[in-house]
Amino acid sequence: MSTSLHPIEQKVLAALASAGAVSFETLVGATSLQEDQVRRALQWLSSKKLVSITESVQTRLEAVRTPPELELVRKVGEASRLLSVEDLKDMFSSPQEFSAAFGRARGSGWIRVDGEQVPAVWVTDSNGPEVMRSLLASLASGKPESELSEAQAALVPDLVKRGILVRGETRSTTVAITEEGRQAATSAPAGEGIDRLTPEVLASGSWRGKRLRPIDVEAKAPRFYPGRRHPVRDFIREVRETYVSMGFTEVQGNSVHPAFWNFDALFVPQNHPSREMQDTFYLDGMSDRRLARTGPVANVAATHENGWKTGSRGWGYRWNIEEARRLVLRTHNTVLTVRALAEEKEKERRVFAVSKVYRNENLDYKHLAEFYQMDGIMVGEGLNVRHLMGFLTEFYKKLGMSQVKLWPTFFPYTEPSLEVVGYSKAVDAWIELSGSGVFRPEVTIPLDVRVPVLAWGPGIERLMLIRYGLDDLRALYGGDLSWLRSRSEVARS
Amino acid sequence: MPVVRLYTARFAKMVGADRRSIIDRLPYIGLDIESVEKDSVRVEYSPNRPDFGTDFGIARALRGLLGKEVGLPSFPVSPSGIAVSVDRRLSSVRPYIACAVATGLRLDDEDIRQLISLQEDLHNGLGRRRRAAAIGIHDLDAVKPPFSYRAVDPSFAFVPLGGKEPSTVSTILARTDEGRLYGPALGGGPYPVISDSRGAVLSFPPIINGEATKVTSKTRSLFIDVTSTDEKTGDGVLAVVATTLAEAGGRLGTVSVKYPGRRKVTPDLAPIRLPLDGELVRSVLGMDLSAAEISKSLRRSRLGPKGRSVLAPKYRLDLMHPVDIAEEVALGYGFDRIGPTYPASKQPGSFNRFEEYLDSASTVMAGMGMTELMTYELTDRESLYGSFQRPDGDEIRVKDPKSLEHSVLRDALVPPMMSALHSNIRSDYPQRVFEIGRVYARAKEGVSETMHLGCLVAHSHSTFTEAKMYLESFCSTMGGVEVSARAGEHWAFAPGRCAFIEADGASLGQVGELRPEAISAFGLGVPVAGFELDLSRIYEQLK
Repeated sequence: MSTSLHPIEQKVLAALASAGAVSFETLVGATSLQEDQVRRALQWLSSKKLVSITESVQTRLEAVRTPPELELVRKVGEASRLLSVEDLKDMFSSPQEFSAAFGRARGSGWIRVDGEQVPAVWVTDSNGPEVMRSLLASLASGKPESELSEAQAALVPDLVKRGILVRGETRSTTVAITEEGRQAATSAPAGEGIDRLTPEVLASGSWRGKRLRPIDVEAKAPRFYPGRRHPVRDFIREVRETYVSMGFTEVQGNSVHPAFWNFDALFVPQNHPSREMQDTFYLDGMSDRRLARTGPVANVAATHENGWKTGSRGWGYRWNIEEARRLVLRTHNTVLTVRALAEEKEKERRVFAVSKVYRNENLDYKHLAEFYQMDGIMVGEGLNVRHLMGFLTEFYKKLGMSQVKLWPTFFPYTEPSLEVVGYSKAVDAWIELSGSGVFRPEVTIPLDVRVPVLAWGPGIERLMLIRYGLDDLRALYGGDLSWLRSRSEVARS
Repeated sequence: MPVVRLYTARFAKMVGADRRSIIDRLPYIGLDIESVEKDSVRVEYSPNRPDFGTDFGIARALRGLLGKEVGLPSFPVSPSGIAVSVDRRLSSVRPYIACAVATGLRLDDEDIRQLISLQEDLHNGLGRRRRAAAIGIHDLDAVKPPFSYRAVDPSFAFVPLGGKEPSTVSTILARTDEGRLYGPALGGGPYPVISDSRGAVLSFPPIINGEATKVTSKTRSLFIDVTSTDEKTGDGVLAVVATTLAEAGGRLGTVSVKYPGRRKVTPDLAPIRLPLDGELVRSVLGMDLSAAEISKSLRRSRLGPKGRSVLAPKYRLDLMHPVDIAEEVALGYGFDRIGPTYPASKQPGSFNRFEEYLDSASTVMAGMGMTELMTYELTDRESLYGSFQRPDGDEIRVKDPKSLEHSVLRDALVPPMMSALHSNIRSDYPQRVFEIGRVYARAKEGVSETMHLGCLVAHSHSTFTEAKMYLESFCSTMGGVEVSARAGEHWAFAPGRCAFIEADGASLGQVGELRPEAISAFGLGVPVAGFELDLSRIYEQLK
């Protein structure tokens, strides 16, 4: 049994030890504590079985007003002269009240009206009013109904019916100390020990020879919310560390790009459905006037039109610079890696970017208009599709997905193209993880890149949902503080 | 992505394999299984493989992969004797028409459903919502060749598909869903129709067919027309439809198309010839495959290797470059038989310094007891401007957003963070939040993008001093710049309770108590104080 008692508990226990079983009110008086303090202390003490608390309910009769006939008899008795009926009537607040009182008193035989010239009111039976008076007095003193005399009890039904007496309930709490309580009270004498170490106590050394008064170390403490990074940021950190550990260099860049870098440079033809406004966010009325059909831009344009020197047939349409100049919010991060590729032509490179991409979507549980992707490319002489498969398998293993499959798929800018699916134990299903592929010659040659480039563009949100057991993408960015503050740091994989 | 439903019993018969091995192999020809139901499987296919638009086409590919029927499929065609003459006046609207005939068909309801679904997918994909190309499928026995593809006036009338009375071209354009949806492709006319020798109308492309040539399960002979704005696209679409009809049991016939000054016979189903570069195949796949293995794999992909070339059926519009042949080898060989190998890096990797700076900023803010938010960069005009009573007009809008809630690029973090506090009015206070995110502004050349740090403290005793304490503690913990404050006015913060944060004379942000107008506009019941800092600029100063 825990004997660590709060000073308030000790006070209450001490008061009970000397008083035995008492009412709550008496106990409050005896401890000179606040009602709230005593109530709380009793809760603690009773959960430790040091006190027993008995709640009892008693029914009680109470007079809510004086019966009018009694009032009438009193007025007659106290009058210094004979009173006529009219005199009496004037002494009541309303004629109705008077006639009720007069009727009752005369009907019970308490009064009579008698007189030669002027009829006066006489009290004939003073015992009847006396019984009623004693009944009221008994009730006022708290006497229970069961202890009323027979004569008193006989009056009760009528008075209750008339609403003069009301039956009510009173609850009372009786508190008694238990045997364990007595032991605890004696083993933890109040007044000894120290409540709290203070700089003064430490400086004076007054703690010597005393002990710290035990407190309830098992009670719940108030809730505190520590500051926290966003779970998506933590996950991105993990991804970035994974990439860097695999020899990748991080790049970053703007979200707004000319359509040229988002689409044309990636061999997406200008009439491709994905370029339409219903999928892509174009900035209203904005385009990059500086983009001109020279250098790599001219190469890309010719590749679209007829394949240029890439060995391709091309898309066979007339390429339009205006379409390429329109500003878009990037729809994938390959735009960042491909620009890095165009700017620095090293023979051997590994580059990644974890950034947002934007799609013109209606938000629902599986679609967002902005979300993160963690794109990467690997450039090097002799790289091939087996290396792509090898990298992706290794990468996802490091991110906690040890079972992945690679299925053929289609993207305009890679060939071959592979879709990565991974088995999630948490949801017991194969889920789509990433698109990937080997950049087409139509992408690399116009940028004067002459070595194979492996590329992939995985999303992060699906993995986040699994990790946090969520089923709605919107929950990640909804800014719901109750989730952000109370989500558990130990996540599923 | 378009979807095809494969009824298991029907499909298993077409492929000659059992349900289990079919479902196992479907992903390995590039199809995504969307759902597996009791009697069917729904698969998604990429529009670059329009030949996968019916179960006929998918079965043809799967028979190859399973070794049941390999090599180049052949599609014999013979002249039908039917001719179509093309009106010179159509050269400005929809100049090209390609046609084919299929006879001896016995189509059941599912065959017809598959064909209609293919037609729809082609309209949306290669046809670019019928603008580039549109297909008409007709009961040949209901009309009398020769046909003419000619220009008509808006007053020209015929009975459209599903109608009982003749309608004029202008009524169809103005009053029907198809007319309103696809009419704009024709501009102001002239309007094209295909009619027979007696004047019966087969089609008003790309809007609607005529009732006269409606196809039913009793139809035995089909006439196909593909009208287009690009001749190659039209020929490609026709090749997909014609070869599918051949798979469905039809005998194909050619049609002679008479343009002013030239004549062309369609469909042209002569195989496409691409160079076979064994070295390229081996280097892309990283496998030392023999010529025989390459050849065998290509045949399983339903191609015809022939010496230093590969022949591909005309519907393989996706094959553009020898590298596409390398992928066909991989498909025929089986991607699941290609072993992954991971090349360890010879160089160390590295973090981007600025990303690292931002990551540290998050750690420091969290260390001060703040909860990190990530809100959307695209937000709505009201929370960005109206709630702060500042004028809009210079905002960066996206075109045709699907939702107005995400239609304007934010130029500051405080507004979306206030929206977040609004949605948290039932969470425990005090609320102390921060966000590190991208904001946008118009610049001389397009758009400037910077990373900001926003911080808000909301509780009944929040003050300027608390916000400034966090700001100064953040700056001194991150280090590198000495910041000072100068009294100023800003749309987010109350006059007299706002300061600009500066370092070396450059403004880096603001700190203050939020304007009560804004607090109440966001429906908050407690005072809010905070700051917003331009981390991109601070980082510039560090360098």
